[in-house]
Amino acid sequence: MIETIYVEEAIQNHPKTKFILNKFKKSRIISINKYGEIFNKRNQNFRIQKANPCLILAHKKDNFVLPAPEGFGIGSSKNFYFSHMYNCIYDCRYCFLQGMYSSANYVIFVNFEDFDISIKKIIESNVDSKVTFFSGYDCDSLALENVTGFAKHILSIFRKYPQIEIEFRTKSIQKEPFLSVKPMRNVILAYSLMPELMSNSLDNKAPSISKRIRVISELASKGWKIGLRFDPLIHGENWKELYQELLENIYNNIFLDNLHSVSFGSLRFPKRMFKDIFKLYPNEPLFTSPLSLNNKMISYDIEIEEEMTSFCKNLSLKYINENQIFKCSI
Amino acid sequence: MNNLKKTKNSIRWVIALKEEAQVILDYYKLKPINEKTIYPIYKNEEETHWLIICGIGRNNAAASTAYLYAYSNASNYTSWINIGIAGSGKGNYRDLYLVDKISTYQRKKSTYPSTLPKATLPKMHLFTSDIPISDYSTYELIDMEGSAFFDIASKLTSKEFICLMKVISDGPENDIKEITKSKISNLIKENLLKIIDVISYYERLSEEEFQIIDKPKLFNEIKSKWHFSATQSYRLETLLRRIEIFCNKKDIEKTIKNCETSNSVINVLNTKIKNNLINWSKF
Repeated sequence: MIETIYVEEAIQNHPKTKFILNKFKKSRIISINKYGEIFNKRNQNFRIQKANPCLILAHKKDNFVLPAPEGFGIGSSKNFYFSHMYNCIYDCRYCFLQGMYSSANYVIFVNFEDFDISIKKIIESNVDSKVTFFSGYDCDSLALENVTGFAKHILSIFRKYPQIEIEFRTKSIQKEPFLSVKPMRNVILAYSLMPELMSNSLDNKAPSISKRIRVISELASKGWKIGLRFDPLIHGENWKELYQELLENIYNNIFLDNLHSVSFGSLRFPKRMFKDIFKLYPNEPLFTSPLSLNNKMISYDIEIEEEMTSFCKNLSLKYINENQIFKCSI
Repeated sequence: MNNLKKTKNSIRWVIALKEEAQVILDYYKLKPINEKTIYPIYKNEEETHWLIICGIGRNNAAASTAYLYAYSNASNYTSWINIGIAGSGKGNYRDLYLVDKISTYQRKKSTYPSTLPKATLPKMHLFTSDIPISDYSTYELIDMEGSAFFDIASKLTSKEFICLMKVISDGPENDIKEITKSKISNLIKENLLKIIDVISYYERLSEEEFQIIDKPKLFNEIKSKWHFSATQSYRLETLLRRIEIFCNKKDIEKTIKNCETSNSVINVLNTKIKNNLINWSKF
């Protein structure tokens, strides 16, 4: 339940604003000038807000599509990302969004049409390159799909460009935008996963791993390409057994012909971000892990990272090809 | 002033008139402090609640909020409350409202206080004016202090710890000239149960925040045995927070008991974390 929705005056009559507000008839609507008046203020407590976030409907002015950081790709020469939303309805303790914004409120940019224009421009200016777009860098790309309809909207753009890949990265079990249309070979539905035992403690408010696997299996069987993102890899007692069980469970339950890629990434936080997140959640079990400062990042020691990555990679190679495996390093 | 207790829950009230404050003073058993101060200040015996009578107007509200902060040694987990009467052309006479938007003549931009979650109280937009307003048609709530209180309080703590509540005292059908001291007290008194309910949320919030930011249990004990520099103290605090989750007090004491220097305490604790294998089934 969203109790309060702040709406920028300029987009009060935008069709998407009306579409979204129609879903929250009991919420209090407060008119604002710019979303930054609420979202960018420094005197906010992220943790308290996270327990009861508000929604902010806003107009995005620029930077609709940005080049993805180095190390974010899955094989293309050019990678871009876009976010129609800031923040996430889930509350995963390792997530960088906790240290990214001072507010835990959700911002939804309603001018989807401007994303379309930017995406098309980039596609047209990169006709000779293999290009992948990523949706869901500053948010989960599908978690609020029933409110925004963004994925369904953006699929219609990419249907016209079958040579251009788009990845939706998510923990959501939203299936509707995909089950209601024909599978598209340039769309990758990428799911973040970790052993259930760890997820129970770390992926607060997110669907369980078993539910995610059921949805992955269903979408793969319908013909959608699947990405598996084991990012971050989490250390702890019996981690080998836990990851072996998870990987075997997935590989044995999905149609592997539709598995696009698998990536592994270590737990890592920029130093400043770790400090902020630790301040918010000092009693979090995750921070009792053997974490230390390595190359300006707080992470597991390199030996632990390498052992975990190679264990998972070697196990995966029994089921998939090496060229399907990537390392997340951002 | 310097020997104030560090209390777990911490509430600071900023109220314009004694008549508005009287019910609060009585209910929370607040007594005047024994010193001469610029504004009248009251506190309870436990020093968890402090109240200042600020007088009418934005300047008084701003100055008294800052004054109470300094005087009462408020912390960043202190909750700040402003309650008082307000005019309104839209709400119901005598009803209590929470404020979630504030505007003034002087400033183009509005400010947006948070309100407590799942509140049953209605919410309204407050306009803070420097002069009494008798045209009630434009604004939901009208007062003379709210914006200044919020501006200063939001520099002292995060906005989730600030609450503004207004009881409607005048409007098109209730002439402002008919407000009397006893009417003001009665208006607040009639809403006391609702006010207490709101305050209990802010007391809890303040206490929870205190628990989170309070120093780890063993911190002062360890610091008294070895000499730690400022940087080492910070490191010690961070390590203890992490270790306390999987180690009890006795285990930690046992781990460091043979350490000769503060440096070796830090190294030993660091090694303990390096060797920790989290049992995820426990969390």
